[in-house]
Amino acid sequence: MVRRREVLKAIGMTTAAVTLGPFVHARPARADKGELVVVTWGGSLVKAQRKAYFEGFEKETGIRIKDDTPPTPAKLKTMVDSGNITWDVIETDLAAILTMRKDSLLEPIDYGKLDKRAVDSVYPATRLPDAVGSKIYSFNIVYNTKALPAGKHPRTWAEMWDGKKFAGGRTMNFGGGVTPQLEIALLADGVPKDKLYPVDVARAYASMAKLKPLVNKWYGSHAEAIQLVTSGESAIACTVGPRGMAAKREGAPIDVEFNEGKLAADHWCIVKGSPNREAGHAFINYALDPKRQAAMSRDVPYGPSYKAAIEFLKPAEARELPSSPENEKLQWWWQAAWWGEIGPDGKTNRERETEKFARWMVTG
Amino acid sequence: MLPAVLLFTAVYLYPLSRLVAWSFFTPAPSLRHYRALLAEPAYLTAFANTVTLSVSVTVTTLVLGYPVAYLMTTLSPRARAVVLACVLVPFWTSILVRTFAWMVLLGRNGLLNGALVALGLVTSPVALIHNAIGVQIGMVHVLLPLMILPLYSVMVRIDAAWLRAARSLGAPPPQVFLHVFLPLSLPGIGAGCALVFLSSIGFFVTPALLGGPKQITIAMLIDLMINDLLNWGLGAALALMLLVVVTVLFVLFQRALGLDRVWGAA
Amino acid sequence: MSRIALRAVAGVVLAFLLLPIVIIVPTSFSASAYMEFPPRGLSLQWYRNYFVSRAWIEPTLLSIRVAALTATLSTIVGTLAAIGLVRGRFRGRRALEFFLLSPMIVPVIVFAIGCYFLFARLKLIDTPAALYLSHSIVATPLVVVIVGSALRTFDRTLEQAARSLGAGYAQALWHVTIPILRPAILSAAAFAFLTSFDEVVLSVFLGGPAAMTLPKRMWDNVRHEIDPTITAVASVLIAASIVLLTVAELLRRAAAPTSVSAEGGPAH
Repeated sequence: MVRRREVLKAIGMTTAAVTLGPFVHARPARADKGELVVVTWGGSLVKAQRKAYFEGFEKETGIRIKDDTPPTPAKLKTMVDSGNITWDVIETDLAAILTMRKDSLLEPIDYGKLDKRAVDSVYPATRLPDAVGSKIYSFNIVYNTKALPAGKHPRTWAEMWDGKKFAGGRTMNFGGGVTPQLEIALLADGVPKDKLYPVDVARAYASMAKLKPLVNKWYGSHAEAIQLVTSGESAIACTVGPRGMAAKREGAPIDVEFNEGKLAADHWCIVKGSPNREAGHAFINYALDPKRQAAMSRDVPYGPSYKAAIEFLKPAEARELPSSPENEKLQWWWQAAWWGEIGPDGKTNRERETEKFARWMVTG
Repeated sequence: MLPAVLLFTAVYLYPLSRLVAWSFFTPAPSLRHYRALLAEPAYLTAFANTVTLSVSVTVTTLVLGYPVAYLMTTLSPRARAVVLACVLVPFWTSILVRTFAWMVLLGRNGLLNGALVALGLVTSPVALIHNAIGVQIGMVHVLLPLMILPLYSVMVRIDAAWLRAARSLGAPPPQVFLHVFLPLSLPGIGAGCALVFLSSIGFFVTPALLGGPKQITIAMLIDLMINDLLNWGLGAALALMLLVVVTVLFVLFQRALGLDRVWGAA
Repeated sequence: MSRIALRAVAGVVLAFLLLPIVIIVPTSFSASAYMEFPPRGLSLQWYRNYFVSRAWIEPTLLSIRVAALTATLSTIVGTLAAIGLVRGRFRGRRALEFFLLSPMIVPVIVFAIGCYFLFARLKLIDTPAALYLSHSIVATPLVVVIVGSALRTFDRTLEQAARSLGAGYAQALWHVTIPILRPAILSAAAFAFLTSFDEVVLSVFLGGPAAMTLPKRMWDNVRHEIDPTITAVASVLIAASIVLLTVAELLRRAAAPTSVSAEGGPAH
């Protein structure tokens, strides 16, 4: 009788300990783990960032950097709402920042902690109270050169939409924290570059509907898009040009057409309530250094946010950047302001259109 | 009873997870979500897709699995063990590994297309992935062992005496099979179909990786709602509906086929 | 059905079952920069990549840790539950049995969502605890089935003999029943380990950068950018499954030479 009760107690306690244990030590303050979570966009970008920024930073400060992807504002909101914040530093575009700002999800940047020269040298439009520019990217026509040899490749978005003239599957972004490409759909429909805003949403969706039958896979990340094009599963992608250039350099049958491309900037920002604000600022400062930005651009030809960093690049390398004078002429700058406008329902255009796009995707 | 204490441990862990899920359905009265769901065309599409997919997968696994299970009953114990291993190894291999292998096999530059082109059956690679074909193949592969095992476990119990009796009465082998063996294997068929069908309704990994824009399943829709649309209420409601459907179907299968025997036999 | 036709058809189906697994292993030895089958040259580069790269090794270690914890927890809970279910004569036993076995039927994603809500509230998302707790729920039914079936064929006379010699109930259990059941228990533990190790959906929903298991890493990799290292990882996993399966089978043979192997396992 006694034995039984003892055994009962012992087993009960062990199981209780095992199951309750986590509740007791589930709160390791992430700050004292010496870790920083940086959320960027995966694939070749994060590989280049690891080489150019993370490894050096880890050596210098002893703080380990863990990366995550993608930086979806909605996901951050969920984290902050439930108190489960696992992110520290985020790299994303202005539309997302405006959305996160509306929901008070970002920490103000303490510019006193950043190198003054670097701050003065970044693109002025990327100096924000809660974010500072990290790089310049572009969305371009990225195509498979085996299916569409140079010279016979699509030069405009309208041509990407033209399934008869250019055969093969298309791939376009869906989800993964990337905004729907409404402007590109409008351009494909013949709207001139200077009349894109305010975005005629109905017309954009009608144009997207024309593309839909040609899409063989909607990609969830840019790395996937590059994979689809290099393997030939898709012939044309609307994705980040610099990544296509990086793949081309490695010998993949891929090329990038810069005409009609969408230029935009990415920014570093810090999550509100992150226990690693100090480390976050230190990291951002580290990543603003022009030499390091040039090193990154050498790996994957994104434009540096520190404008003068291009002096550290060879002319041939500088020409490949989306922000180079030659390429900038062909493209147009994204106006994130429209995406950040808040409607009567309390949502920014970005939020509303992302949701609408998801619905449209499933029902069509 | 000793174990009862620990049963309760399992008991509170499990439903607690669920109970809070329930409570999450009512930040706004849950009915609103359900009404929204039923009005949501996306839901109907996903539901129709999922059911069609599950039915065709179930039928295919049955057709493919029956011969294997039958073969196993006719083999010597040693050969039987080998075949069983051939069925169990894929079964216990990670679903990601298996699905990924199909991604490699079915791609434009994959083995299957390579063979088709080399054999001259097609002039250029066929799209076998990111569409219904890819998903079917992947899911059938994953679920085939789940059909074979119950089929086998029932078939192996069929008393050979019945078959001998039928044959001694002059029935030709096809008839013996059709009128004696097949009916006796019905519980196995029922169990296999139930397991495969119920599993495929909730499938997420394989359709997400091998499917295309039109192959969205309910599980994928739930993921979309929770992660992309961030509509937790709607996602939770959908999850609950899925659970209800699966439970109801299970109970129906249980009643109709007396599956207890198969569980107990395991 | 003629013998040959049957064997041919079944043979084709079996080949179909084994094909993907057979393809992956050689592909992992490919010497070129991307995946190809059959590989033109052989090299261990992808294996080297796997074992050298922090991004793959850390999730592997975490997966092993979580799986070990899951196996421990679910085996203890499951074995005791099996004893209670098979031996007990209390009301609602059938219902309880159904309840404990229900995770096998409930779609994992439904359970994952429920857990997500719960763990979010408890701030357990992205911790190993969330993982091994949820994995245990999925693994316990398996343990209950395996140990339960061994129990059903268990000869109670030994236990009764021990009781008649004056041993208390718990003593008899501990010193007689459980040692005899050991092969089944260990086999169940092996399956529980494997179940947790391969679990994808729960790891994706409940994990994160700090709690990244190998399946989650593979999932991210497969969805976004297929790095051929994944073929080496996959091959290692296949080998691990085969080893565990063999161990479990040998244990089962030692325990109950006549019963059919357990059916029912995670097919998520």
